[in-house]
Amino acid sequence: MVAVDIIFAPIFLSVLVYYLTKNAQEYTKYIALAWFVVEFIIAFSWYKSLPQVGFLELGNYLSVPQFGFDLTLRIDALSVAMLLLTSALLILVVFTSWEEKNQAAYFSLLIAFSGPIFGVFMTTNVLWFFIFWELTLVPMYFLVGIWGSEKRIYAAVKFFLFTHVFAMFMFIGFFLLFKETGYWDLTLIKEAALTTPALIWWLMFLGFAAKLPVFPFHTWLPVAHVEAPSSISVLLAGVLLKMGAYGLIRFTVELMPETTAHFAIYMVIIGLATTLFAGMLAIYERHIKRMVAYSSISHMGLVVVAISTMTYDGLSAALYEMIGHALVISPLFLIAGWLHHKTHTWYMDEMGGIMKYAPYASAIFILAGMAALGLPGTMGFVGELTIIVSSIKAYGWWIAVIALGSLISAGYIIWAVRRAIHGEASEIVLKSNFKMSFAEKFALAIFAVLIIYFGVQPQAIFDLANQAFAMFGGMQ
Amino acid sequence: MSFITLIAAGLLVPVFYKNNIFIAKLIAVVAFILSAYFVYTNQSLSSVFPLFVSDEATKLMEYVLLATLAAVSLSLTGFERPLIAQMLFIAGLSLAILETDNFFVFIVLFESIAIVSYILVANIRNFYNAEGAVKAFIAGAVASGIILLGFALFSFVTDSFTYNEMSVNGKFTLIAVAIMLAGVFYKLTIVPMHAWAADTYSQVNHAAAAILSGVIKSVMLLAIFKAFYKFMIAYPIATVLIFSFFAIITMTLANFMALWQKRISKILAYSSIAHSGYALIPFAAAASVYSYAGVLYYAIAYIFMQTSVFLILNDLRREAGVKFLEDIKGLGKRAPIHSFFFTVQIFSLAGIPLLAGFLSKAVAFYSGVDAGLWPIVLIAALNSALAVGYYAWIVKHIYFDKANSNSTIEISTGSFIGQLILLTGTIYFGVFAASVFNATISM
Repeated sequence: MVAVDIIFAPIFLSVLVYYLTKNAQEYTKYIALAWFVVEFIIAFSWYKSLPQVGFLELGNYLSVPQFGFDLTLRIDALSVAMLLLTSALLILVVFTSWEEKNQAAYFSLLIAFSGPIFGVFMTTNVLWFFIFWELTLVPMYFLVGIWGSEKRIYAAVKFFLFTHVFAMFMFIGFFLLFKETGYWDLTLIKEAALTTPALIWWLMFLGFAAKLPVFPFHTWLPVAHVEAPSSISVLLAGVLLKMGAYGLIRFTVELMPETTAHFAIYMVIIGLATTLFAGMLAIYERHIKRMVAYSSISHMGLVVVAISTMTYDGLSAALYEMIGHALVISPLFLIAGWLHHKTHTWYMDEMGGIMKYAPYASAIFILAGMAALGLPGTMGFVGELTIIVSSIKAYGWWIAVIALGSLISAGYIIWAVRRAIHGEASEIVLKSNFKMSFAEKFALAIFAVLIIYFGVQPQAIFDLANQAFAMFGGMQ
Repeated sequence: MSFITLIAAGLLVPVFYKNNIFIAKLIAVVAFILSAYFVYTNQSLSSVFPLFVSDEATKLMEYVLLATLAAVSLSLTGFERPLIAQMLFIAGLSLAILETDNFFVFIVLFESIAIVSYILVANIRNFYNAEGAVKAFIAGAVASGIILLGFALFSFVTDSFTYNEMSVNGKFTLIAVAIMLAGVFYKLTIVPMHAWAADTYSQVNHAAAAILSGVIKSVMLLAIFKAFYKFMIAYPIATVLIFSFFAIITMTLANFMALWQKRISKILAYSSIAHSGYALIPFAAAASVYSYAGVLYYAIAYIFMQTSVFLILNDLRREAGVKFLEDIKGLGKRAPIHSFFFTVQIFSLAGIPLLAGFLSKAVAFYSGVDAGLWPIVLIAALNSALAVGYYAWIVKHIYFDKANSNSTIEISTGSFIGQLILLTGTIYFGVFAASVFNATISM
């Protein structure tokens, strides 16, 4: 029962927690923290009991036999990787929003978010996948819309509408899957022959592409990321974007390999365009958080290219980059938001010289920035290298233009460091008080340690990838 | 027995409600519970008259209907007391129209419900109420005439009016059905016969609008589906063409109209018209085995959410004069409980998962895909995504904006219990789909 409880309990727990702690707001965050730790432990125990090949069965619930519709919970290494990442990020997000205002509501919404997001990665039933996918929007809508900065309402509504509209294409795609096979369950659909795979593939791809997001469906992301509070940006980048990549792997690559191979070239083109286009946008950006958001889109382009190879190497690289991206982009978002909070400006050219006044944050910003541009010894290097190598293996030398993405990112990161961190301190910086709370320092330190640890010791993630993608001819 | 209980209670209630509304409400609720018990023990019309049959799906819809009406009667105040008796009559007639398997009885009951609904809106206090009521009456009268014309043509060519035995292959049948559908579409507020609905729903008393748009429309939906099922099977091409055409124009037009409205009651009225459009998809997909489940699920989900939003709006208008989108700014702070119920039901209308509105849409849309109408379903799905635009906008006003005034709005106990019943329904049918599918297995 623990499997289904971990999905549905938070939804009810959040309402309960909200009313219980309304008059004692300082306790809510401890409850949220405790719950996320429990989730992490459960995810970890599943990781330990994972079979070498295939799925760990967690049971069937809420069966509707006439419609062939049940909540089938099954996890494999890919899901476990996402679950561990999600719960770890949620724990860190509690620390980074330690002093958020209106805590009872904020943390209960975070708890409410943790249920459906677990559901997305745990179910193999496509309709339930869609249900959880949509359900994650609701807490996010409120979190962005209430706690965000000036244009938060525009951002929240745009985010909601955009993902919802594109999810509808996916929805019809799932219906067609069921109509043609008679199953909602992925493992069963896989066996059946589809008569209109191209149509279904494109319908589903649109949904995932808008979530990722890739060019030209990316316009919601900069707005949402900039206006969301930085802890929520971490969740958006670290978890919500991963839903898109996860869906691409689960639904296009694993479910419809032939069709994906047929359309792989479009994915490559879209991925490349995303990487280069978003990178160029990031270079021109003065706004620090928007720059980070574009950098995030640019990395997602790399992930799409890696997924499109459909080889063991490519998918492992994609999984590694998905985790790496979460750990690298998060501290950048956090520090960008923190700098805005302290200096009340978003623009890098109005900052300058922060190194001297906030050395801790600056150091971690530089470290994460270097990871984002792929400095050896950090997660970014391993991720980008494996992606480039695997795509060259799959498509030949011309795909090496993807390395331009790293080149561009070097451009904007180094320039950002030059403008914001080094140089002469501006008036604004001199006037600001750069005091950082212990909880924030702690969370940033964890991110920094993980970036370096997995950069030097990537084996743990590749072990998971090996377990997840063994069927694509991994090293058994 | 259930029919007799309800009608008797409806006759009895006016004796009390002038002096003591509490007793009137009590009688109504007891009558609803009692008739639910009679439905449960099969002491329905079907056990007495040969013209009525009751199956699992009908029974499920009847429970839902009675629970909803009980919730409505709990949240009424003295001002709306005539509604109690009218609701009891509507409940009785609805049970009858749901159970009937005779086309003639269906037409008679259809008109009877129409007459009660004219009385329902006739609680006129000002000029605007009068406009809504008159529009409803004239449109309804025209619709009645049209339906009767179609029915007269149809009665030429058939030997029997029983659903199973009707001969639907005669010369006039298609014309007769087309004419009857025009009348029926008035009642279901299908574009272009929708023009009365937006004004009526938004300008009559909102509690009456809740019954009119929420309860009666969903009962009619199911009853009409059962009545016309045989025609829809007999003329598959015409069915697909007619229903998908009207479904598409209804939902598209209503959604765009709703986007521009400033009055909340108008937004909800247009959203109700848009929902009629979605509900036509399982009609178009009558050939699919899921069409009956789609209609039933849609009716059940719709009755809970639409009734609930209008009832809350009724409370808000009475207590705080809420009329325009401007007025609900910051409502989350001023009326937390109202806002919570309102938000959940709005999300259900928008089709957010784990609420009945989502699964009902999913089943209804799926029946369309199953019949091979996926392009129409895609349009419907995009429409429902577009609709999120104004639903999310309402929620945005409630939670994200600063309030114009600081006065708080309390919820009355009766209203609270009523909303709780409706919320339970919305959540129950959003998570446990099996009950609805089990009920339709007989079809």
